[in-house]
Parts: sequence; C-alpha cells; structure tokens
Amino acid sequence: MVMTTLLLHYMQWFLLFCAMVCIIRLVVGPTTADRLVALNILSGATLGFLVVRGVYQQRLLYLDVALVYDIFGFLGFMAIARFLRDKLSKGGE
Amino acid sequence: MEISIREWLALAAFASATVFALFGLVGLFRFSDPFSRMQAGGLAGTTAIFSTFIGALLLSPSWEMGARIVIIMLFFLISAPTGSYIVARFVWQSGFEIGKTPKKMLRGPKE
Repeated sequence: MVMTTLLLHYMQWFLLFCAMVCIIRLVVGPTTADRLVALNILSGATLGFLVVRGVYQQRLLYLDVALVYDIFGFLGFMAIARFLRDKLSKGGE
Repeated sequence: MEISIREWLALAAFASATVFALFGLVGLFRFSDPFSRMQAGGLAGTTAIFSTFIGALLLSPSWEMGARIVIIMLFFLISAPTGSYIVARFVWQSGFEIGKTPKKMLRGPKE
C-alpha cells in the first residue's frame, strides 16, 4: 500500500513536469505548427494527470471530469486547427 | 515494505511512461522542423500517456474506477491519433517542407 501511494505521488509530479515543459514550448515555439504540437501533448498530459489524481484520491469524480475534458479538448483542438487554416488561406499569399 | 505483483507491474508501466515522455520532450526541443517535432510529440503524447493509464488501471482500487479508466483509454485511442492527423494536415497545408522552415511562417500565419 505504501508503494502504491509512492508510485501515484511520483507520477503526478512527473506529469506536472511534462505539462510545464510543454507550456514552455507553447510559449516559445516560433511557428504556429510548433504551438499546435505542444498543445496536443499538453492535453494528453493533463488527461493523464486527472486519471492518476483520481486513482490517488480514490474519487470517481476526477475520472468523469477526465473523460469530458478529453472529449471537449479534442473538439476545441479541431476548432482551433480549422480556424487557423481558414485564416491562413484567406490572409496568406 | 511488501510489494505485490500488481505494484511491480505498475512500476514497470510507470517506468516506461517516464522513459518515453522524457525522450519525447527532449525531441520536442532538439528537432528543427515541425514534422520531426510531431514525431517526438506522438511518442510523448500517446505511448507515455497510455502507459500511465495502464499503470493507473493496475493500481485502481475498485471495479467502477477500472471500468472508467478503460473507457477513457478507448476514447484516447481514437482521439490522440486523430489529433496528430489534424496537426499534420495543418502543417502540410501551410507549406512546410521537411527539414526547413519557410521565413514567412516564423511569426505565425498572419505575417
């Protein structure tokens, strides 16, 4: 039981670290495509964090939130990509 | 400290998640063009998160939690490759070539 707590605790910190690195890429990234790649990884890391947190605290609520977050994050991601593409084809040369 | 077989398996899953995520993040910073970065991002975004799910599934205390994690895994198997595909199509249509970045894209699509 001690080992379970230790593993879940470690994994939460590690996923937070991954999210931080992705945010750095998201802010720094020189082109829009780099930012989209970083956003993709960031949403995955957040999903993993929510699942691990739910198992750690033994609450089902976190897992429901994780599922809804995944669905809406995916839809939002699709909308962002489509918006950027329309802007690119209208405004670019 | 007594370690059960479930915890050993979860340790293996979390260790593989750590290795894949670290190499993916290193690739995200070391590679030069968005296509290569997307390859590293796919490594970190799919394999590492899926290993994390498997470890969490092994450590889950009840059946309800396990069933929810399985549903999330199934949805993630659909949504993650589709997201990568959307990024790839965006990068392709905005005129990148493999190995070099055009000058007009350095400030985003507007300029």
